[in-house]
Amino acid sequence: MRRYETIVILRPNSGEEEINKVIETTTKIITDDKGSVIELNKWGMKKLAYLIKKETLGYYAYFDFASTPAAVSEIERKFRIDDVVLKYMTIKLAAAITEEGVTEAIAAVSAREASAAAEIEAAETDDKTEVKTDGKTEVKAEVKTEVKAEVKAEVKAEVKDEVKAEGTAVVSKETTTEAKKEA
Amino acid sequence: MAPRPQKKLFSRRKSCRFCGDKELTINYKDVKTLRNFVSERGKIIPRRIVGTCATHQRQLCEAIKQARQIAFLPYSGSSQG
Ligand SMILES: [Zn+2]
Repeated sequence: MRRYETIVILRPNSGEEEINKVIETTTKIITDDKGSVIELNKWGMKKLAYLIKKETLGYYAYFDFASTPAAVSEIERKFRIDDVVLKYMTIKLAAAITEEGVTEAIAAVSAREASAAAEIEAAETDDKTEVKTDGKTEVKAEVKTEVKAEVKAEVKAEVKDEVKAEGTAVVSKETTTEAKKEA
Repeated sequence: MAPRPQKKLFSRRKSCRFCGDKELTINYKDVKTLRNFVSERGKIIPRRIVGTCATHQRQLCEAIKQARQIAFLPYSGSSQG
């Protein structure tokens, strides 16, 4: 068994069914040949760096698998026949892979996916907190600049008193607009 | 006697980014990294300019060519045409 990775670019206007069909036939060829799929990933729509069969977009699918050269040539033969496939590329990652190697690789992939998912979650929570803090700082900055502008507008005492009294940004905004109108 | 003007004013010693940063790996799927080593027109920037070592430039060259094959990077031109 050898370890390969294959990337296929499918037509962007092909439906979910056609995409799944291509993936299914490919995995079937691999498993029929007693190989095993280590990773199967639908990368989805991507912009192509150059036109392929007059298409600017392509649907990318990625396979990482352990198989024999015969299976690879069969997969590629099918790709060449299939009209949905724009382009494909297979790269040999390792000349030999054992059963244990395959299970290890699968475990590594699932661990990576799990950590990626956790990271996304963490990032989402981070984003929320960041937004909150950003909002606060922005509000402060706004208040400062507005207060300065008001100083120019010569309504110092009133506005300052108001800001001190109200404290919140929204109210101070309103007061500033009012103050400007007055000025 | 006037002091001699310094000869090597502009030659900053360039170092291989992949030797310096062990975290940075060369992979044809990592388009972000590869983009740093191709010109605006999509040409591979020579070693004498980017300063990568021979080993890594060879790996980089192969990775860029693989990325081109699967339309991650253009053969020529920035995006299309
Ligand atoms: Zn190097």
